[in-house]
Amino acid sequence: MDFEPTIVSFLCNWCSYTGADLAGTSRMKYAHNIRIIRVMCSGRIDPIFVLESFKDGADGVLICGCHPGDCHYHEGNYKCLRRYHLLKKYIAQMGIDPGRLHLEWISASEGKQFAELADSFTETVRGLGPCHVKEIIENFA
Amino acid sequence: MEEVRIGVYVCWCGNNIAKMVDVEDVSREMETLPNVVISRDYKYMCSDPGQDLIISDVKKHKLNRVVVAACSPRIHELTFRKALENAGLNPYMFQMANIREHVSWVHRSRENATKKAKSLVAAAINRIQWHEALNKRSVEIDPATLIVGGGISGISAALEIADSGKQVYLVEKTSQLGGYAAQIDLISPFMYNAAQLINPKIEHVYIHPNIKVFLNTQIEEISGYIGNFETKITNSENQSIELKFGNIILAIGLSTFNPSKIQNYKYGIIPDVVTSLELEQVLKSGKILTNDGNVPQNIAIIHCVGSRNSNYHEYCSRLCCKNALKYSNLVRSAIPDANIFEIYADMRAMGNGCEELYSATSLKNVMFLMFDQKNGLPEVREASSKDNCKMLIEFDEKLSGERIEVPADLVILMVAKEAHKEAKKLAQTVGISMCGNQFFIERHPKLDPVATTTDGIYVVGSCQAPKDIPDSVAQARAAAARILGTINKGSVEVEVTTAKVNEDTCCGCQTCISVCPYTAISFDEEKQVSVVNEVLCKGCGTCGSACPTGAIRSQHFTDRQILSQIKGLLDKSFELQEG
Repeated sequence: MDFEPTIVSFLCNWCSYTGADLAGTSRMKYAHNIRIIRVMCSGRIDPIFVLESFKDGADGVLICGCHPGDCHYHEGNYKCLRRYHLLKKYIAQMGIDPGRLHLEWISASEGKQFAELADSFTETVRGLGPCHVKEIIENFA
Repeated sequence: MEEVRIGVYVCWCGNNIAKMVDVEDVSREMETLPNVVISRDYKYMCSDPGQDLIISDVKKHKLNRVVVAACSPRIHELTFRKALENAGLNPYMFQMANIREHVSWVHRSRENATKKAKSLVAAAINRIQWHEALNKRSVEIDPATLIVGGGISGISAALEIADSGKQVYLVEKTSQLGGYAAQIDLISPFMYNAAQLINPKIEHVYIHPNIKVFLNTQIEEISGYIGNFETKITNSENQSIELKFGNIILAIGLSTFNPSKIQNYKYGIIPDVVTSLELEQVLKSGKILTNDGNVPQNIAIIHCVGSRNSNYHEYCSRLCCKNALKYSNLVRSAIPDANIFEIYADMRAMGNGCEELYSATSLKNVMFLMFDQKNGLPEVREASSKDNCKMLIEFDEKLSGERIEVPADLVILMVAKEAHKEAKKLAQTVGISMCGNQFFIERHPKLDPVATTTDGIYVVGSCQAPKDIPDSVAQARAAAARILGTINKGSVEVEVTTAKVNEDTCCGCQTCISVCPYTAISFDEEKQVSVVNEVLCKGCGTCGSACPTGAIRSQHFTDRQILSQIKGLLDKSFELQEG
């Protein structure tokens, strides 16, 4: 039996969430493992959201924002990008494979790209196997 | 704190959701979650009876929060917020779970789609416990409107608004009004003279007391929000002028494809290969002649130059086929014995009178020859001295299945219509989205093709997608009507999901001030805390994710709300089936 990962995805309202909506209206099919949370801007994605997702049992976290230069709020995506690189290093030190966290720019017209990303990231996380952070924390406590 | 009483409503969306998600099962299971008082499923939640169901339940069961699991919140969040208001609840005590665009339409397994739907709804239920009532803010609308672009779309919108007695600022980058329509001779399919149609309108704009025209002017920066935008422009005399306006219409039109990108057509190499736009100038001059001043005997019109080809533009430019038919007719009238070849990929002349024009053209001894873009494009080459023509065009003719050569003295390339070169810069200036082809994106492709996702900004004409004159005019007048509606109302309600500082926990580090893209946060030296200017704050939430103490909150997207949503999403009971 294949392991079915659970992936929490944070999508900005203006580009990426709309792109994911477009994948839907175009009836593109992708992995059901992706579960989406809408934020207004990728700049709103507090590192805590990512860490808590892993702590609560996510096997992967996907962040999507507007392409550079296209942010509805001018530069929120750049701030997200900086945090992302720091977070990658941070989670590695916490014993979480940095491959479980991924950031990609998805515009409002990139429904196809979103569907492909959902599939490819699901496969990546499936390959990494279950994330045991939640169990470890529970046992530790 | 008052007791939390949640109503959950799972929509079938006809069969759109119910086909892939067991909505009854979702609804039943949600009723077992804490604080859920009632959970129902219904055919169409967005319909009037669906909304009435919510309203009557709110009253009957004393609900104080409502979760609707249906389509994307980008489509119906406002609809349901209104319903809550009608039920006497604060509209922000609402949360939507998107189980159509993000579940039923994109998954194949009913079992897993149902599980995923449950986790999304559970997340919404978890989140809504922490929702807070927010009061709407009303802003006054400045009755002036800024229109960027003086083509037929911009002109039509300007006249519509100005005739209603409201001020219009019409900004045009070039030295004259009229845009693309002013460059063409006759308009297909009814052959109206473009100048006769558009010149009186341009005159009217210039003398209209409510329209101020700025030629040779570009917009560098726009600040503000619906009702209260402002910009500084520099006019031709180098004077800086400040303009204030409540709404913006973008009508910057389009550019045309540069055919020298397709080497087959020898554009720029053989002088008698011309673009459709260049031919319009020839037609305006009254005489169709080749580069060396002779009357061409063989005229070839090549379609889809840069359109419907994944190497250039995948989309159909929409206007070219009917224009190509127009050229055949005009050439036939001007040179009765000429050989005319329409070398097309598919005939897509559509709209009023176009099919009739196609039929009429086919009776005028015009050769229609088809090529298949997948099998290579026609190749234009110079003829040799033996040939009785200047050029030869070689291609696989699809209907006969033969490789043929067509003689030509004049080749007309039906060049693709593409997004305006300035589109990207303008989109970034005003903060709206573009599609992959750099056309501006409307708020909704079916239900709101005029507005954009930024309140107070409208897109009209070919900057949204290639359009003919009647469609551009219709869209322009629709935008004008929308704007006049808001001006008439005098004020508009805006989102209040701004950031808010808790002065007790703010440590005064000013990190929020350094990350705010709108300089909406200032520092109160006396209290040593950050202060948010709610008018300037657009609610992106970047400050909220940078604050080390959690003192600054993005309202309606607070840490607690999102963290609860994550918890609900990862609830063990809705884990996916393995295998």
